[in-house]
Amino acid sequence: MIRVRFHGRGGQGMKTASRIVGTAALLDGFIAQDSPVYGAERRGAPMVASVRIAEAPIFERGVIPAPDLVVVADDTLLDDPAVQPLAGLPPTGGLLMATAHSEEEARRHTGHPGALVARDFLTLALEQVGSAAGVSAALASAACAMLGLSGPAVVAAIGTELEAIGLSPDSIRANLRLAESARAGIQRVELPVRSLAAPRAGSPVVDVAYAPPEVGTPSVTARPNTPLRRTGNWRVFRPVIDPAKCTQCWVCFVRCPEGAIELDAEENPHLDYEVCKGCLICVEECPTGAIAKVREMREWAPSEVTR
Amino acid sequence: MSRELAAYRNLKDISREEFILPGTSVCGGCGGMEALRLAAKVLGDRVVYVNAAGCFTLLAVFPYTPFRGSWLYTTMGSAPAGAQGVRDALDVLIARGKVRPEDDVQVVVVAGDGATYDMALSSTSGAIWRNLDFWYFCYDNESYGNTGAQASSATPYGARTPTTLGAERRKDLFEIWRAHRPAYLATVSPRYPVDLSRKFEKAKRFKGPKLFLAAAPCPTGWEFDPAKTLDYGRLQVETGLFPLKEAVGDGPVVHTYAPAKRRPVEEYLRGQGRFRHLFEPVKQAALIARIQEDVDRYWARVEA
Amino acid sequence: MKQMLTGNTAAAWGARLADVDYIPAFPITPQTEIIETLAQWAAAGEIPARFVTLDSEHSMLTAGGAAAAAGARVFTATSSQGLLYGFELLYTVAGWRVPFVLVNVSRGLASPITLEPDHNDVLAARDSGCLQIHAETCQEVFDSILMAYRIAEDPRVLLPVIVNLDGFSLSFTREPVELPAVAAASIYLGEYAPGHAWIRGERPMAQGVAVLGGAVYSYFRYQMQLAAENALTVHEEAAAAFETMFGRRYGLVDGYRLDDAELVLVMSNSFATKGRAAVDLARSEGVRLGLLRLRLLRPFPREAIRRALAGRRAVAVIDQNLSIGLGGITVGEVAHALYAERDRPPLLSYVGGLGGKEISDQEFRRIVSDLMLAAATGETPPPRLLFTAAEARQMQTLLSIAGKEGAG
Repeated sequence: MIRVRFHGRGGQGMKTASRIVGTAALLDGFIAQDSPVYGAERRGAPMVASVRIAEAPIFERGVIPAPDLVVVADDTLLDDPAVQPLAGLPPTGGLLMATAHSEEEARRHTGHPGALVARDFLTLALEQVGSAAGVSAALASAACAMLGLSGPAVVAAIGTELEAIGLSPDSIRANLRLAESARAGIQRVELPVRSLAAPRAGSPVVDVAYAPPEVGTPSVTARPNTPLRRTGNWRVFRPVIDPAKCTQCWVCFVRCPEGAIELDAEENPHLDYEVCKGCLICVEECPTGAIAKVREMREWAPSEVTR
Repeated sequence: MSRELAAYRNLKDISREEFILPGTSVCGGCGGMEALRLAAKVLGDRVVYVNAAGCFTLLAVFPYTPFRGSWLYTTMGSAPAGAQGVRDALDVLIARGKVRPEDDVQVVVVAGDGATYDMALSSTSGAIWRNLDFWYFCYDNESYGNTGAQASSATPYGARTPTTLGAERRKDLFEIWRAHRPAYLATVSPRYPVDLSRKFEKAKRFKGPKLFLAAAPCPTGWEFDPAKTLDYGRLQVETGLFPLKEAVGDGPVVHTYAPAKRRPVEEYLRGQGRFRHLFEPVKQAALIARIQEDVDRYWARVEA
Repeated sequence: MKQMLTGNTAAAWGARLADVDYIPAFPITPQTEIIETLAQWAAAGEIPARFVTLDSEHSMLTAGGAAAAAGARVFTATSSQGLLYGFELLYTVAGWRVPFVLVNVSRGLASPITLEPDHNDVLAARDSGCLQIHAETCQEVFDSILMAYRIAEDPRVLLPVIVNLDGFSLSFTREPVELPAVAAASIYLGEYAPGHAWIRGERPMAQGVAVLGGAVYSYFRYQMQLAAENALTVHEEAAAAFETMFGRRYGLVDGYRLDDAELVLVMSNSFATKGRAAVDLARSEGVRLGLLRLRLLRPFPREAIRRALAGRRAVAVIDQNLSIGLGGITVGEVAHALYAERDRPPLLSYVGGLGGKEISDQEFRRIVSDLMLAAATGETPPPRLLFTAAEARQMQTLLSIAGKEGAG
């Protein structure tokens, strides 16, 4: 069995990407299973999807703890301790990521010794289909190439899955062209095939004791604490305020649905990047054009990411 | 008078304090969230939000809360009854000396249009009929947003949803509410924060039901770029599709902002994925005209 | 001093002497007399509680739960379809871990719609997290309500309690009931001052928050299970204190002539009274029959039931309920309690008294003869509906009148 785990954000189409891979595998004669897991959030928040491809019945379900291939739609997810896209990926496994960093930088940053494909699929998508959502077909296509799934199966799978989510024939054709260029030059990766169900890590079974009601009831008595959730990691683009152009008009502050903009004593706005989700309403609404939309590029620290 | 200019002159009257903190699960660019945030700035922290199942149920997910006030999730169909229980409990506990009067809070139902227009209609009707002293904040994203924007009875004519098209016309919730003669009711838009704030401030004068229908442009469900949320919020009002109005008790409906020259509805419809089929592959001129006629008829009545 | 009270009035007195703060209500037969009585007392200023008629049982239970979440002591009542209409809230409010007492006046469920009692309504709620006490007499209705508040509000429990009484045979039936003095009831209960749930301006709290992830959900749901298990101990303490103050003692289960009984009937609620008569009749004919009455249905007092039934020669459970596709509900639970017992008796299953149908001496005799045969042979007959020849004949007549082809 080969296990592929996709990491992306709601709206980036990783569920669709996983379905493209699942359908392509089916068309190539394999038994396949694909499943997304999302939390409460929809657009913007990290999500995971899993694809299992096998020649025998699959006795696994749910998120893949130890993938053979990891697909990362957004390199800002790499450093997110709540996501840990590389967790469980063995050195012999494959890694496919959309990033504006170079492949060398990606290898250095991830420390992944095995097969690695790191390309700027987002720019490719923006150029060829005019939408960030194209990352979905691009990554699916590249992942299929790494898995060695056949070209005709990939084309048919993209057509099927994009039609299922309501894309127009024109848009599907554009995505197919994008998929073609996305997989150019990507070689099939020999992934070690493990036939047994993967061990599911856990810890010993314990007794749950009765907790006094102040503790054991589902309520929150902490002061408002959602900023701890650091939704800043949802951003693909960041708004950047140019103080020189700012007229202290309050528009960005008033119109930010999150309340992620604070005014200082001189009424200058300051964005809290820890929590700003990157909706870019402030960019759209600023009457003086003082807020720029900048592609999110996390500085990669010299150390490797947590695995 | 250009009311919009007046609004901008007063934008700085809006509180700089935040009462709902960032970091929640709701989608980036949520129009309903902006409306609730602005409302909360007027309501303050002596509140309990009594919630019905919907997008905003995910504002408080264990172990997190964004609220400086309190929160109680109930069910989809009975948040107004929850408000009734809390209000009654606080009244009787204060009367019996078990709760200090300074510990009292305003009770605010927070519910989407799916709950409000449909499942919770009888419970809301009951609460208004009992003249319950409460606030009702309905974020109207015109669909069952939290389950993926399926059609609700708030879905407008012509909109495509994952289940069905919008019916002949969406329910006129404002008039359904008004038929009960609540102490105060109003529509508000997150794009018109001064109008919104004034209405919440004004409603504080009234004891009894204070009902707000808030436009909630929804980038996820309506399928547009989240940066455009308030553009659509503006167009919703400037086309006349979402009139900003209020009524006090059995008094007349007062339009608090009437666009001097209404924008064609087409400007609003175009660009939203849920209306894409009105423009592609061929433009459905008759359908668009019918939507325009509905708006024109409404405003003809208003202006008559 | 004793006075003649219906089960419904006794329930209203339970709420009154528990000094409740809040009574959300909605009428339904045969419960309505409870809320009418409380409404009159509230209107006359005889009780300080706020009485509010809601728009449905769903709203009623929401309001009740929300008021309890705000720290009020809450009483409410319903029956049958009303309980089912508000069903979602039983789970929801129990999950908030806020106590209140809900009286259910049992009535058979639609369809066909009917008025008289059986226990499908209350037993449908058995997995909800609401504890359940089933009463046999009007006195027990009153006493159980006081005990229910004490149990529900104990920090080891903090779950709602449903007190069940049968429609008609208790709800509208008057019996002598002794009511304690207001002061004594007040001492027994104390004040409800929750340390875990409140709605206050000075101390905000988010209640009923969503959880994501099975582990978090499992933790909180299992806390409810542990709380319910604690209620066995808390019930015994509450029963002991009740006996000290008021002289009446209630066990987790109730027995009648059980000491030397070889054969045992297991019943619940008001029809258990008919079971007592059947025991006396059998005893008069030399059969050592006894009765075990299930009183606490949740938490299920497995150990008390095991002790009461282990070593008997045969046991018959009469379920006044019907889980369609399974049969009687409580017989399976009793079997569960006995399963680990090496010396477990044959367990016979009867469904009887549906929709308030009479259970006659003839039917009890049939059960006793089945019990004797089972005791002798060790063999258990298949489950049986209690239905008599006269009832079958009457049914034929009615079917003919209704124009049913082939009837009669």
